[in-house]
Amino acid sequence: MGHISAPLCRCSLMKPIEYLDPKVQLCIKKRGFSELSDAQNQAIPLILKGNNIVLIAPTGTGKTESAMFPVFNALMSMPAGGGIKALYITPLRSLNRDILARMQWWCGELGLSVGVRHGDTPMGERRKQALSPPDLLITTPETFQALFMGKRLRQHLAQVRFVIIDEIHELAGSKRGAQLSVALERLHVYAGDFQRIGLSATVGNPDDIGRYLCGPRQFSVVQVPVAKHLDIIVRFVGDNFQKQTEILSESLDREGSTLVFVNTRVTAEALGHALYDRGDVEVHHGSLSKEVRIDAEERFKRGEIRTLICTSSMELGIDIGRVDHVIQFGSPREVARLVQRVGRAGHQLNAVSRGTIFATGFDDFLESLVIARKAKANEIEKVVPHRNAADVLANQIAAIAVEYGEIELSKIREILNRTTIFTNCGMLLEEVCRQMEEHRLIRSEGSRIVTTARARRYLSGNLSMIHDERKVPVFDMVSRRTVGSLDESFVVGWVHTGAVFITKGQLWRVIQIAEGKLTVEPAKKALGELPSWEGEQIPVPFSVAREVGRMRRRRNISEYTSEQAGIVFSEKFLSEMDANRSVIPTDHLITLENTEDGVVCNVCAGHKTNEALGRVLSILISARYGTTVGLELDAYRMLLRLPSSIRAADVRDFLLSLDPSHMPGILRLALKRTGLFKWKLVQIAKKFGAIDPDADYEKISILRLLEYFDGTVVQQEAYRELLSGYMDIDSAAAIVRKVIGGEIRVALAPLSMIGAGGLFSSRDQIPPPTADQAVLATLKRRLDSDDVLLVCMNCRNWKSRTVVSRVPDFPKCPKCGARLIAALKPYEDELYPVIRKPRKTQADHAIEQRLLKNANIVLSSGKKAVIALSARGVGPENASRILATLTDGDAFYREIMKAERRFIQTHQYWS
Amino acid sequence: MNLEFFSDGPALVIEGEHRLLIVADLHFGIEADLAAHGLHFKSRSTDRLERLLKIIDAADPDMLVLLGDIKHSIPSLSRQEYYELPKILETIRSRIPIKVFPGNHDIGIERYLLDSELQAKDGSILDGIGYLHGHMYPSPKLAGHLMVLGHHHPLLLLKDEVGCAIQTPVYLRAGLDLNGLGMSVSQKNSLSCRALLIPAFNEISGYDIFQIFKKPFSPVSRFMKKEESEIILADGTYLGPFMSLQSDETD
Repeated sequence: MGHISAPLCRCSLMKPIEYLDPKVQLCIKKRGFSELSDAQNQAIPLILKGNNIVLIAPTGTGKTESAMFPVFNALMSMPAGGGIKALYITPLRSLNRDILARMQWWCGELGLSVGVRHGDTPMGERRKQALSPPDLLITTPETFQALFMGKRLRQHLAQVRFVIIDEIHELAGSKRGAQLSVALERLHVYAGDFQRIGLSATVGNPDDIGRYLCGPRQFSVVQVPVAKHLDIIVRFVGDNFQKQTEILSESLDREGSTLVFVNTRVTAEALGHALYDRGDVEVHHGSLSKEVRIDAEERFKRGEIRTLICTSSMELGIDIGRVDHVIQFGSPREVARLVQRVGRAGHQLNAVSRGTIFATGFDDFLESLVIARKAKANEIEKVVPHRNAADVLANQIAAIAVEYGEIELSKIREILNRTTIFTNCGMLLEEVCRQMEEHRLIRSEGSRIVTTARARRYLSGNLSMIHDERKVPVFDMVSRRTVGSLDESFVVGWVHTGAVFITKGQLWRVIQIAEGKLTVEPAKKALGELPSWEGEQIPVPFSVAREVGRMRRRRNISEYTSEQAGIVFSEKFLSEMDANRSVIPTDHLITLENTEDGVVCNVCAGHKTNEALGRVLSILISARYGTTVGLELDAYRMLLRLPSSIRAADVRDFLLSLDPSHMPGILRLALKRTGLFKWKLVQIAKKFGAIDPDADYEKISILRLLEYFDGTVVQQEAYRELLSGYMDIDSAAAIVRKVIGGEIRVALAPLSMIGAGGLFSSRDQIPPPTADQAVLATLKRRLDSDDVLLVCMNCRNWKSRTVVSRVPDFPKCPKCGARLIAALKPYEDELYPVIRKPRKTQADHAIEQRLLKNANIVLSSGKKAVIALSARGVGPENASRILATLTDGDAFYREIMKAERRFIQTHQYWS
Repeated sequence: MNLEFFSDGPALVIEGEHRLLIVADLHFGIEADLAAHGLHFKSRSTDRLERLLKIIDAADPDMLVLLGDIKHSIPSLSRQEYYELPKILETIRSRIPIKVFPGNHDIGIERYLLDSELQAKDGSILDGIGYLHGHMYPSPKLAGHLMVLGHHHPLLLLKDEVGCAIQTPVYLRAGLDLNGLGMSVSQKNSLSCRALLIPAFNEISGYDIFQIFKKPFSPVSRFMKKEESEIILADGTYLGPFMSLQSDETD
């Protein structure tokens, strides 16, 4: 890499700062940095050498500067103008603005030009950039995509020598990141080799991040250990919201400037409301308008307010000035998140970041302790990039087709082979192209891919792999007004008739989903934690949930903390469980508890593992019993909503007979008809150009349209994403293996505080595998509620009208005690007087015979006969034929179904 | 009169003196309209036609009765239809005689039909049963007969105990308010004067039957009696009276 012209002195006595251009050194002094941070000292020489690098360091350790000092150095030695020389990519526009403000000073001093380009950039500014590109361009991954669409901008890209990706951990694990990875190799076509610099918060697998960034090229990793910078304590604040806010308020009085992180917007709003009277607190989350958010940031920075209550919107490195203390309200759920959030405190080099977790309950406290321990031990979660995501591939093929007009497929493969995550895509490339042709997004001519008229329009609507969500209005039936809106994906994926959810801090029950509108009524109560529309819950990882289970088993809470309130609470909780003779589920013990709604399975395995396990159990149960199973779960338990006839012991039998090797296959089957799967399918189909962002589904049956994707690469991708991202089959299989091996015991138990006190997020329903079951259920329901006329054929002095479900197993005449009861259809009421006639005609005798035959069947077969006789077109002859099959349960109802089917094929039914 | 149900269609054979295969709402060319609504799919005309030919082979009828909306584009022929439609009709015709009751989507189809094939838009009687597409008031001639119609694409959301739904095409047999329809019928015949709504053969067309009752979009559907309506699945399973189904509204 010969483009670094600054002479490199190998003299080890030189400090890294001295390698830099004197002008840059001067600026560093001017800016008031007396010395460089660890991160800077390690990274600068490597970058100057021309290495690709992943720099992992806590927020506030001067990561941006570490990367930019040597980049400035190189830019200054290049001739002015001629194109963009360095790209700085961040995941957020707000971060872009922040970086721009910082870079403008440096570039101004050093005589370099800098610009920002993203969705908010005005047209005039864009035109200016196209005519005279800045040396350094700050942008987002999506706007980077757009740069390839303009001919002139493409030329400017040829000069790029550096690409810096900030907060790369936010991108690497997502489809946005997968898309960016291809875009970097598309850039390579114009710019040749350029130096890659990734800036990341702490992750468990820095090498994977490096491979993601650099593909097959060499790279270095510089990691500044985070643990020594962290001072985290866990406080138990109880489960009373009022009390919690009091403790929070006291804590704010004691500390200086504080960031309070919460997990949901609803909590943010609630806390903001409760602390409003203090006058020094503001709320900051994604649903607030940009102006409100920036205003809050600015006021915090200026010290006008002391506290900012925020969601993950404040996790990334937006500069908000000095933060003395971070409070995490409720368990942070993930180690990485805790480290990132607490890292916002002590925004100075080498300063210690102080953070306090406010734990709000038993699960929450134990979980927080485990996460805090892991943070101190540097056990951070891995970031796993998507491999061979077909929808990303489709998106990038369309982009390449537009970029080149037409291109050999082999050229596309060359681009993909330079990435890490698509390098082994094999035949997937051809399959994706075939599917895109199906939707007229591209054409293929021999071995060439040709763009279509639609492709450019598709691309401008699909620059981003973030799913643009349509909003579905929520209409309250009772007050007859619109109360808010929900994301389309939430509606398609989670909400079903009768479901209860929260929006605007209130509970609602779904009455109807139709015409792009959700009709609801206020609901009073619902079991546990509800799906809120905030988007997906942060899953608690497997290892955290396992350790919580171990803690429950060993009861060694005091080894984790000296927080007396929490220790006392937890010990009291556990001894109360003991006193109730409840069995405490642990990492070595799964307990199954019966409740009114179904069976609670207490499994300490985290969200994704429980998701996999819960779905496998649900599909098996639903297939066996022919009923839909509702599934709600969190990291420590699942509630299987079941008919009352299926109990914990049955669920145990299913669990014990699971074969881990069959689980992936079962899950595929289970997923296919769920709301979640359909939602994914729609999202992916959009990226294949099958469905426009503003498509109108009202005229057709979207459910049946989705069947067009059976067996296609679109469906495969939905499976891939769900099975890899939403659930953890491997860990679920590991749990099952331990159950089989006896390492984890399974016990039946009455409903316990742990089982009942849990918080559920209503998720999905697992329908039985065939439509047949729904038909049978409908048939049963109808027959059960059919009116039936019982007539005593013995004394002929009793008749009673009732519904089939109320008929006893063997009906008996209350007058004479005989069991010779005929079961008639309501319209046969007119036959009753006939059988009571003292003198009967020929025709009357025929009727009497018929009713006697009817009664004889009921005498011998009881209620089963009554059920058969109430079916459409089934008289005594047909009924005895059905009963003669000696079938029971579903098979019996299938016989009835056959008889009815025969009946409606005949003239009798139609005339 | 005997009936046979072909669930792969859905299609229906009504056998009296003749064996008639009844198919409604093919909507060839729907893909062009889908594209205009933001849904981009390749034409599935070939698949749809093959499905129809298979059923013709399996049912071995004397005649195919097409209950309208053979094509999709309104108000004229789309490009796709211009190329596809003549061939489709010729392929069917070469197997079996057809009768066509034009629907609201069939504007301009006459030019591809033989005079003997084209039937009245407001219906006529074949083999003792009244047939029509169903977008117009039925001809008074049909009074006293079972009326078989397309146009409504009935679909049903079948729910099981927990409320999970499957969407499936259904037949709807409904009693009618004959006065409302302007039909005078003798007492004796009034019972047999029912409507049978045929599900769409087109695999993605469909209206929920609750919606058909709630927001009727044809003369016949406006005068259907809920209480005298019954649902039959595409395979001929008798599902029960409409009133026995659970509606979302009453949950």
